[in-house]
Amino acid sequence: MHKLIGLIALLAAAALPGAALAQKSFDVCWSHYTGWEPWAYADEKGLLKKWAAKNGISVKLTLVNDYVESINLYTAGKYQACAMTNMDALTIPAVGGIDSTALIVGSFSNGNDGIVIKKGAAVKDLKGRKIKLVQFSVSHYLLSRALALNGMRERDVTLVNTSDADIASLFLAERDGAAVTWNPMLLKARSGKDVTLIFDSSKTPGEIIDLMVVKSNAPDTLKKTLAGAWYETMAVMSGQDKASRDALAFMAQKAGGTLAEFEAQIKTTRMFYKAGEAAAFVRGPELRKTMEYVRSFSFEHGLYGQGAKSKDAVGIAFPDGGTLGNAKNVKLRFDAVLMQAAADAKL
Amino acid sequence: MRRYLFFGVHADPPPWLRRLAAALPFVLLLALYLGASQLRLAENPDDKILPSLAQMADAVQRLAFRPDPRSEEYVMLKDTTSSLARLALGVGLSAATGLLLGLNMGLFPGMGAVLLAIVTFVSIVPPLAILPILFISLGVDELAKVALIFLGIFPLITRDIYNTVAALPREQITKALSLGANELQLAYRIVLPQVMPRLIETVRLSLGAAWLFLIAAEAIASTDGLGYRIFLVRRYLAMDVIIPYVLWITLLGYLIDWLLRLALRRLYPWYQA
Amino acid sequence: MNTTEQLSALRQKNLLHIENVYKQYGARVVLDNIDLSVARGELCTVVGPSGCGKSTLLRIVVGQEAPSSGDAFIEGAPAGYPDATRGIVYQKYSLFPHLTVLDNVLLGKVLESSIFGRVRARREHRDEAMQMLERARIAEHWKKYPHELSGGMQQRVAIAQALIKKPRIVLMDEPFGALDPMVREDMQVLLLELWEEYGMTVFFVTHDLEEAVYLGTRVIVLSQYYIDDRGAAAEQRGAKIVADHALPRRAFSTSVKSSPEFIELAAEIRRAGFDPTGARHVTQFNLSHPDSFQTLTAAESRALRAQEGP
Repeated sequence: MHKLIGLIALLAAAALPGAALAQKSFDVCWSHYTGWEPWAYADEKGLLKKWAAKNGISVKLTLVNDYVESINLYTAGKYQACAMTNMDALTIPAVGGIDSTALIVGSFSNGNDGIVIKKGAAVKDLKGRKIKLVQFSVSHYLLSRALALNGMRERDVTLVNTSDADIASLFLAERDGAAVTWNPMLLKARSGKDVTLIFDSSKTPGEIIDLMVVKSNAPDTLKKTLAGAWYETMAVMSGQDKASRDALAFMAQKAGGTLAEFEAQIKTTRMFYKAGEAAAFVRGPELRKTMEYVRSFSFEHGLYGQGAKSKDAVGIAFPDGGTLGNAKNVKLRFDAVLMQAAADAKL
Repeated sequence: MRRYLFFGVHADPPPWLRRLAAALPFVLLLALYLGASQLRLAENPDDKILPSLAQMADAVQRLAFRPDPRSEEYVMLKDTTSSLARLALGVGLSAATGLLLGLNMGLFPGMGAVLLAIVTFVSIVPPLAILPILFISLGVDELAKVALIFLGIFPLITRDIYNTVAALPREQITKALSLGANELQLAYRIVLPQVMPRLIETVRLSLGAAWLFLIAAEAIASTDGLGYRIFLVRRYLAMDVIIPYVLWITLLGYLIDWLLRLALRRLYPWYQA
Repeated sequence: MNTTEQLSALRQKNLLHIENVYKQYGARVVLDNIDLSVARGELCTVVGPSGCGKSTLLRIVVGQEAPSSGDAFIEGAPAGYPDATRGIVYQKYSLFPHLTVLDNVLLGKVLESSIFGRVRARREHRDEAMQMLERARIAEHWKKYPHELSGGMQQRVAIAQALIKKPRIVLMDEPFGALDPMVREDMQVLLLELWEEYGMTVFFVTHDLEEAVYLGTRVIVLSQYYIDDRGAAAEQRGAKIVADHALPRRAFSTSVKSSPEFIELAAEIRRAGFDPTGARHVTQFNLSHPDSFQTLTAAESRALRAQEGP
């Protein structure tokens, strides 16, 4: 009973409409992932503060220890911006009616997510297996894509919803295990005996995209601050000098691993160090195809919720003005304007 | 002398007032929820955080009364039977083990000497902390989940039964022996029936913890169950599913408690709680 | 003085026999060289001031506790752990709360059967148990559980429960101690009736002097108030049997309690056992009962010889 009371009290508190938009201070959250560690650097090295001052606002960056929780908090209105993937941006805030904009396309997974198997060599060997994964996450999406590319269906396997914290050790403990996960757990899972990586996100590049998502109605000052701080961090990171090595070491330490481990993860993450590249990626034709896969997957798995009659219920807008789904109910926007401004040094 | 209806130590609320007073917090809670929900939905009709009653009823309708199009199973029924089976197995094993160990430890000083320290030790180990170890050593199937419930509550049941047996008047044991009982008869005909009602009480008190362990285990790795569903749909913030599930778990817990209370009254009329 | 042969004969002849029994808990001595022999058919009451070790003595006879030294015998054999040779009625806890009145009485019979013979045993001995309950005048409550009965009713059931096993001796520890005076007298009369009817041997511990004198065919006074020649160490000495009287069997009527002989005997016992100022020397106890014997320690023997003179 007290569980219920606690829940309702919490939600009632969250129900008070966020009047933060008129304010000058903003809350932004992120959670640990290779492609988002630069946010820790931007915050602790003062870049974020510098850009906020430049835009006359203040920004508080909070690390939330649980990825899904961070998105839920953003959706509930506690944060004005949050780091998440393209799929989660669609299924959680956008489907939940929070008009969100993919402000920064920071990177995409290029081998950072993968499927591992024991006693097997190919995706076909997954048939009949129990596969551990975080259901309804990008892992699930990746598995679905891998199965489809190999002429299989989800019915051919059994899914075991497994917490990401335990997935690697559970996989390693089993004799005929199979798992879908992401780095750093993927690295750990691959280190086991007789483990084969049978599929990874580099086979479907550009589909699992790591974003900084911001409320579409947030003021430009916040958007500019985030973009400015991010691309300054990118510049430091990509330089071939001591500052770059220091930055990588700092992020590795924040991520709780060694520099070598972090660099290995960076290799399987396609970082858009240059704002121009990111802007070009968002304008490119592949993104629309990707989002079509993602929304089909999401709808078929019930992630649109019960109210949705089709995958068109929520609209996704692209920089060229085109949309996928209901153009009157656009809730997820890909926008290249600020990335382009960063590329042109006009922030 | 004035009779107070409600306030003060002399108050004697009539039955209707007692019922009304008991209902009041529930009504307030519901009103608070509905108000907050309406506020949020007015601002954003797609809001998922505080779904309306109609939305929740829809979700229940879909999960409980319509088969899932893919698996052709009734999702809520499947979740409930899976979870209840785990709970029953875990609690049942704990009760049987706790009864057997506690009885023998309490009655036979030698057994007590061997087991008391280790049972106390095990009861202090926080079960949730060893959850990963359980899953790694016992696999992600039913065994680890049942084992978590078992490890979580059997030490407490054992200690409670032990205390109950140890607190039996020494005279009773002497008395039974003077009526010709041997040691086995003493344990299973004299002491066992006397601790049975206490066992039911202990199980009632342990059920809260058992649910907690069940849901924790289902959250870590599972293919079905009430806890599984809650943690799964949390992925896309489906509060319209989570809230009915939480209420359903509460109701199930209350029902089980009520059944145990009923069993206690029916089976052990001599036992005065 | 008793010779070894005499003692051995007493041990064989009598139902209950206790010799040289000491009991101490740590440094505290509770029972100090207890010698006692109880013949068949006796209703032997043990009385003494509270804390004198009456219940400890009973527990030793029951077998619930072992003496620190010395021995207890039942029919010439070492008493050992509690068993069916000795029936017990306690002040409390005699009845099993989870059994009905009838089942409490039947228990002694049911325990003789195997798990499978239980139902048959209940059926076979039902009449006997009901008869027992009739005797104890509690039969109409046979369906009830102990908690539904008053204290006096519970003790009636407890007596029936003990008697159905036909024990050699019934040990009773303050069985009527918690009852109202009126109920207590009823129970005393009931006990005397049953004692006579069944020819029981009873060992009855009480702190109530009147009760002891009224019920007993023999009254044993256990007391820590006595004098000996141990000097300062005497502060920590345990209780001894300071008096042992054979009583004539009178009528069961409780009116004897107001007769002059009764009152005088009670007063004498009170002086001997309950009054520190009336304490006697170990060699001068009134041990007039024919079965009474006293094994003196070396020091006590010397004291006795000194008194008797050369």
